[in-house]
Amino acid sequence: MDQSGAEDAAIHRHPPEHSSIPSGENSVWSDVSPLLEAACRELRDGELIHGDNFNLFAAMSALEIMDPKMDSGIVCKYYSIDEAVENGVAPVPISSDKTIDVQSTIDIMDHLLACEATWHNGHSLAQTVFSCIYLLRPDRTSSHAILHSYCRVIRATCKAVVSVVSDARTHEEEDLFTMAYGLPLHGHGDEKCLSMLNAVEETIYRQLRACKATSSKKRVSEDIEPLQHNLDLEEGFCKALLCRIRFRKHFFHVLTCMRRPQGRGLELARKHIASCMSELECILNSAEFIRLGAFGTCEDGVEDRTTASGRAPIGFDASLNSRSSAPTPPRAIKILSWEKAVQYFLKLLHDLDIVCSYSLDPSLEGVLRFVVQFQKSKPDLIARAHLQLLLVQDGKLYGRDPIFAVITKAAALPEVTKNHDIQKNEYIVQLGQLVINMLKILCTNAAWQRRKLGKILQDWRVIYVQLEIALRNEFGSVSSISDDENICVKIFKHILNWVEEQTYWIASRYLILGFELDLYSPNEYCMVYWYMYVVLIKLAEKTHLRIAVSSGTAKKKGKKKKDSPKEVAKESRIPLPVLFLQCHLCLAEGLSMMLAALRNELMVLQSPSPFNTEHERFIQHFELLQKACVPDNISYLSFKESTTYTRFSTLVMYNYFKNAQRIAKEIKSSFSDDPDRLAEVRRLEQVAEHNGVALNVICRVGALDPSLKVPDFLIPKNSNLSLSLSLSLSLHFSSRIL
Amino acid sequence: MEPNKEEQQQQQVAAQKAEFDPSEIEYVIYGGEHHLPLIMNLVDQELSEPYSIFTYRYFVYLWPNLSFLAFHRGKCVGTVVCKMGEHRTTYRGYIAMLVVINSYRGRGIATELVTRSIKVMMESGCEEVTLEAEVTNKGALALYGRLGFIRAKRLFRYYLNGVDAFRLKLLFPIPEINPVLSMIAESDEIHTHDQIPQQEGQDLQQGSG
Repeated sequence: MDQSGAEDAAIHRHPPEHSSIPSGENSVWSDVSPLLEAACRELRDGELIHGDNFNLFAAMSALEIMDPKMDSGIVCKYYSIDEAVENGVAPVPISSDKTIDVQSTIDIMDHLLACEATWHNGHSLAQTVFSCIYLLRPDRTSSHAILHSYCRVIRATCKAVVSVVSDARTHEEEDLFTMAYGLPLHGHGDEKCLSMLNAVEETIYRQLRACKATSSKKRVSEDIEPLQHNLDLEEGFCKALLCRIRFRKHFFHVLTCMRRPQGRGLELARKHIASCMSELECILNSAEFIRLGAFGTCEDGVEDRTTASGRAPIGFDASLNSRSSAPTPPRAIKILSWEKAVQYFLKLLHDLDIVCSYSLDPSLEGVLRFVVQFQKSKPDLIARAHLQLLLVQDGKLYGRDPIFAVITKAAALPEVTKNHDIQKNEYIVQLGQLVINMLKILCTNAAWQRRKLGKILQDWRVIYVQLEIALRNEFGSVSSISDDENICVKIFKHILNWVEEQTYWIASRYLILGFELDLYSPNEYCMVYWYMYVVLIKLAEKTHLRIAVSSGTAKKKGKKKKDSPKEVAKESRIPLPVLFLQCHLCLAEGLSMMLAALRNELMVLQSPSPFNTEHERFIQHFELLQKACVPDNISYLSFKESTTYTRFSTLVMYNYFKNAQRIAKEIKSSFSDDPDRLAEVRRLEQVAEHNGVALNVICRVGALDPSLKVPDFLIPKNSNLSLSLSLSLSLHFSSRIL
Repeated sequence: MEPNKEEQQQQQVAAQKAEFDPSEIEYVIYGGEHHLPLIMNLVDQELSEPYSIFTYRYFVYLWPNLSFLAFHRGKCVGTVVCKMGEHRTTYRGYIAMLVVINSYRGRGIATELVTRSIKVMMESGCEEVTLEAEVTNKGALALYGRLGFIRAKRLFRYYLNGVDAFRLKLLFPIPEINPVLSMIAESDEIHTHDQIPQQEGQDLQQGSG
């Protein structure tokens, strides 16, 4: 059909007689209705109008009007907020009966908490918290002090949370979170929410005291109007309101304290976190009282109710915002239950408390360990965003330590280096950016984190090469200059080694996250552990070199003092961090070899597939590592070479698990003051022991009956598989053979 | 795009399995507009994502050779809908929808359907095949695992119900670097063509349906 005609028709919707648009110099308006009608008659089933920018792909974005699955307009009960308000959906006061008014206010507070938790868990703000009509019309509530102040603090809190998350930009996949088009996130006067909330709190507190005094027949000094008229319920209602209001107050404080520069508000934030938690307990405890007042009007299903009372709250309509909510088809959102919401907030506060109790360790090694440990508890977006903003502020660690200083410390360079002019070198500046970028990535959710870590491996590899070239260009052949001659050379060499070490650390984290995300299937474990093993060898090597060089420089400085044989013996020992890595390394190698032997001798875990082979799966799983040459000269061929001929007899000979167990035993005492690491070493020890036993059993049984059919591995799905935990799988295996 | 949810109602399924011999299932390549309502009904019935008719047309009009239907005694019991095209530097196949009705599951129909599509993709010069599956969809994950797909990525809260997805990927062997494999492939009468067909709508990002 005539394409230009169709376009004109789209622009010019009105018949000409109604049109007041005059013809311009180069344009004449004409009626295309007959043309369109003719075109419609011509169109047969399955035909589509095509244009330069409208093809079948574009047509997919079409929404079918009046299809409730697609048309977000159709599901609305009211056309506008005003219409809903006119229909009395959100009355102010909520009820003319004061008791019912208070009850309903509590329901609104509870439902808002459930909405807020639902929002934090990945749904749009518009369809959760801002399904509350009271929030959408900030001025309407002004005559209702409790509701008004509560709405204010909710809006202010949402705003603070949106700002934390968007400042941290950790929400790449969670972009629904910060979407707030058209929502009154900032009501006029919301910044004064705390003083209003304090005033309301004060009033209710007086009312509570007054009713307590009345009930204990003491004389009331002030004449205070009670909260509501049923005096038997007065105390319970006052308490229920107080803990809800106080929770909001402290939670808002937590958010603001945590944003103070250089972690200066963390201590105070912890106090507010503790208060929040105790108020949440009170909120939970108030449920019993509130339910008593809810005379059998409970919604069905205790599990699903979004309020402590079980009543549906007044003043909410999720469909009002469905048109402005998000660029998705309309969908009913299931609001979390009130109890789940409280549990969510307890967990969030717990995670925030871990962030606040962090000591702001100046060593990068310490930072990395802390973040990794923190991530183990699967903290949600908001806690992660706070951690990230704490770690990186103004391009400095904690907004305090310049990145170059952090790098020199990590690379074991002497303290004075941190002021050296070399930090102006463009590659050193870039390296600083990479460090900051890495810290930010480590604060993201595991799925996103793994992808990003895989990608930055290349950046780290490239910066290594660039630094190496810069070193060679500026200072000639490295071997011809001794360290003492040129401090720059020394700095470069230290940093180069450290860059490699850090690259291998990222690679090992990348591989371990694959377990946590359940990306490997049992028939791939052999190659994954093998790859882990080759990465850990390099990591241990670089770590060892760094420590050796730095203790070497220390030795030179204090040469005169350190001559006793004891000192020499101590220095020749393998340093603790290296031993720790060696323990992991033995386990990874042992597991990989055991899995290889299982495959070679017992014919299990083989996976013939019609379209490709293990080689392709190897390429896919380690593509990003291979692209970045991490480690160098490692390929599928090297994997095959080291596993094709593995037999149980060779495994027993090399004693991987016994070695791991021995190292774990040896280093345990050194971590006595660090419970997290001690627990980790204990787990390693246990896994090594279990697998040692498993190996023995397999060897014996396998030798007795080589035709033995071995069942598949038992894989605990969705469990938080970290390296060490997943290792214990083989124990299941052995017990099933028996 | 949402793949199958085979396991979703498995408990109910056990009671009402259809009785049939696998040889009674007839597999048919997409044959025209008369197949479209069959595909749409099946997908509407089993998957939650709302697709407009344009979404189906996009796939079946541009890649009719990649869509298959399974019939049992004249009744459509399963379907697969796919596409292929350039994605960054690769030529890639994408499995958009795979559905087998409940009572016919667990009998290899889905495997046969998707295998047929993958074979055509391979013959058409695709280097790899991808799709997304819910992390909770054990049936689909096992099915694709058996076909050689790996779980390449986890997509955080990919579906609007808050469930994560896995991006599954199947890499075809590259003949040059793996002569043994290409020999096997040829003995199976699978050929790769040098000619890559030109197609419209080659954006393989997640069909936006």
